[in-house]
Amino acid sequence: MEFKNKKIITENQHALIRLPSDGMKIIDLKTDGKISLGKFGNFEVKDIVGYCFGQSFEILNDGTVVPIKSMSEQVNIEQPEDEELDRDILTKIFSNSAENNQNIINIGSKIQKLTHEDINELKESGASSNIGQLIISKMIEGHEGFDKKTIHSQQKYLKRKQAKFLRRFTVEYLNSAQLMNYYMEKDLNRLLDMSQETLGLMLNYSNVRPGGKYLLVDETGGLILYAMLEKMGFEGEVLLVHENEHPNYSMLKHCDIPEDVLDKSVKFINWLQILEPSNERIDFEVLSDEQISGLRGGKRAQYFRRLKRANDINHVIDSIETGNFDGFISVTTLDATTFLPYVIPLVGGSRPICIYSQFKETLMEIQHGLMNDKRILAPSIYETRVTPFQTIPGRLHPVMTMRGFGGFVLTGTKVIPQENGIQAVGRGLSKRRREESPQVEKTEDSSDTKSEDIKSEDTKSEEDIEIDEN
Amino acid sequence: MRSQNLIAMSFFEYKDIVEEGDLVLAFISRNDIKPIRVTKNAILNTRYGNFLHNDMIGSPYGKQMAGAKGYGFIHLLHPTAEMWTISLPHRTQIVYTHDSSYIMQRLNVVNGSRVIEAGTGSGSFTHSFSRSVGLKGRVFTYEFHEPRYLEAKREIEDHGIDVNTFITHRDVCQDGFEIQVPENFHNGDNKINAQVIFLDLPSPWIAINNLNNVIDPQMKVGICCFSPCIEQVHKTVESLQENGWVDIEMVECRGKRWEARKEMVRDVNDVIKRLKDIQSRRDHGIESRKRVKLEQQEDKEAGVPRGFNPFGKGERVKEGDINYSWKDVTKIESEIKTHTSYLTFAFKVPLIIPE
Ligand SMILES: C[S@@+](CC[C@H](N)C(=O)[O-])C[C@H]1O[C@@H](n2cnc3c(N)ncnc32)[C@H](O)[C@@H]1O
Repeated sequence: MEFKNKKIITENQHALIRLPSDGMKIIDLKTDGKISLGKFGNFEVKDIVGYCFGQSFEILNDGTVVPIKSMSEQVNIEQPEDEELDRDILTKIFSNSAENNQNIINIGSKIQKLTHEDINELKESGASSNIGQLIISKMIEGHEGFDKKTIHSQQKYLKRKQAKFLRRFTVEYLNSAQLMNYYMEKDLNRLLDMSQETLGLMLNYSNVRPGGKYLLVDETGGLILYAMLEKMGFEGEVLLVHENEHPNYSMLKHCDIPEDVLDKSVKFINWLQILEPSNERIDFEVLSDEQISGLRGGKRAQYFRRLKRANDINHVIDSIETGNFDGFISVTTLDATTFLPYVIPLVGGSRPICIYSQFKETLMEIQHGLMNDKRILAPSIYETRVTPFQTIPGRLHPVMTMRGFGGFVLTGTKVIPQENGIQAVGRGLSKRRREESPQVEKTEDSSDTKSEDIKSEDTKSEEDIEIDEN
Repeated sequence: MRSQNLIAMSFFEYKDIVEEGDLVLAFISRNDIKPIRVTKNAILNTRYGNFLHNDMIGSPYGKQMAGAKGYGFIHLLHPTAEMWTISLPHRTQIVYTHDSSYIMQRLNVVNGSRVIEAGTGSGSFTHSFSRSVGLKGRVFTYEFHEPRYLEAKREIEDHGIDVNTFITHRDVCQDGFEIQVPENFHNGDNKINAQVIFLDLPSPWIAINNLNNVIDPQMKVGICCFSPCIEQVHKTVESLQENGWVDIEMVECRGKRWEARKEMVRDVNDVIKRLKDIQSRRDHGIESRKRVKLEQQEDKEAGVPRGFNPFGKGERVKEGDINYSWKDVTKIESEIKTHTSYLTFAFKVPLIIPE
């Protein structure tokens, strides 16, 4: 089967629709299909097919769509028929605006002369192809305070109005970032509060790339899996660990991944199979060709189904017994301290582990647990936060509010400690004293070597808490 | 015979065993990772001991390796783009993982992506891009400072990332991005067709003017300009608008690192007990605090336990010492980056009229 088209809007694949209200919708571009955007109108799939992903459109009164430069574009490519409402007027209104907004007393609905009836009338008149723009322009006319506002608040005002009336939309390729944006709006809980930047950080710290073989716990229902498969370009293998009888990767239903490709690049395993691989292996009696041809239709299909199941399960059990995974990535509410003892041995030498949690405290506990585990080098908790800015030249500033959380990531590197321990050059003493007489400590009986790795950056610290008398 | 190929591929796949000629990152501490080329009879000298390359050959990656004298150790790490970023020789400011990972996530840099990067600088992001786009993708990187260009070129070849990364010595503001694209770097049209642009140079607003002929004309293209000053952002946004880029948004990305620590639980009731203890000792004939101190000093030397001392006052107590009670806490790293650069994102969607 073929991969979906990443560049051009193509029939029979899914796409993400962005609306002026910042709302989002995932649609299936069925041949001859019709898409309804509620109050933003309807359009036909065939009218958007062939344009590039990322293209914005406006729905005309006759139900057809025309491409527009961008959703935030304020004046249409086509000039409004109504002379008074054309670009010049808008420009004039803008240039009349006061330098600041000290004269604005109330930007409420009170100062708008346009009634709902007026708006409906305009909507129904349908004379112009730019109903939305028309309504907005009328509203500006009817808005006594408008020219007293600063250009900036006018822009904001226009944007709010556009969101309400403009029948525009943008068609985006559904990559993992867009899928994540969609679920952030729709069902944030499913993402366990994870932010885009945290997902990005995890994919990099776990070194996800084409050809890798990864062990993944993904409680989001497939977002992490999709992001990894995208990075890998479906080269390599992800072994998805799940806690129920069947794995949940329902988010992939929007992702148009050909079945055979998915079959090849994703395998499933439950925790029981990880903990007790040999018990879970399936003994399956393989029949000879003759015996198979002797089976009647239904029996035969059943035989092949069972054979495939046995092969699949035995294959994942083989990979668990082989271990040497290129990374372990975990996004789950299961307590990692309870499964890490089984997982750490499965990760190859010098490969990363990467554990997500909504809560720093959860990762703190894991890190404390790893302090005395010499198999994970330099485990640390990372946090990353992106602050968006209002991006208008001359008025650049951080937005007033943003989502407060986005999760935390614990990452470290699997290493192979020396069985009998190595004499470490100690750190337990102050620098000066150590230099005078190099001390030697057993790595076995303390977490010193660990603390050395972790704490060396913090110069004013810490293994020794000295509390002076008085 | 060892496979020359595999050795040069370490940024694209893991190896299990260290071989002669490998690039190994000798991990001493998080702030001290030494990239070494494993060479017969060579020695790595560190302040924690000396390490024989001969002992590394044949060892598994990830191994904790003892010094030649039997004490001190390092870990033999396999190179990754992220480890390289924290161990590379700095020739310029570099892009760190918090920024680069977000940029690649937002611009959807994946297997097969075609990327333009200017300037190359120390090649930190170059390695990360190269790893992420894989053998099907391509990275076109530009550097106008000749010594830096030469150094980066040598490194790119040395690390084997030249299979997908092509560096050009060029001032991209003056002379643009168009090049004679090497044979296996284009799809038969001699074009770069970049889908992702990353500009980390002082005047991105000039370079933006030169992008029109080098971006993929059939696809939505993303750009990120990385500038430390807000004035640069201002000019960049205007240039992006003039050049038809849309969905322009500037953001800032901040990373922090936390460590799990332990804080001693100090109960006020223990303080009371201790005060009482001191009092009673004083009542038993010791007149001055001086005497107490002297006695404690003597006690210590003689190994005699002194009075009730719940918090190890005056002693060295190791964090987590089982003789005391502790609670788990986290502490942020001692110095955090408050500002790396502003990230200005934008997109360009070519208008293709179907049929
Ligand atoms: C801050 S460094 C880039 C660091 C790089 N992103 C990294 O992660 O290592 C900026 C580099 O851009 C180069 N540069 C500046 N202006 C340039 C131009 N017009 N054309 C090409 N390179 C330029 C400088 O020489 C410098 O090496």
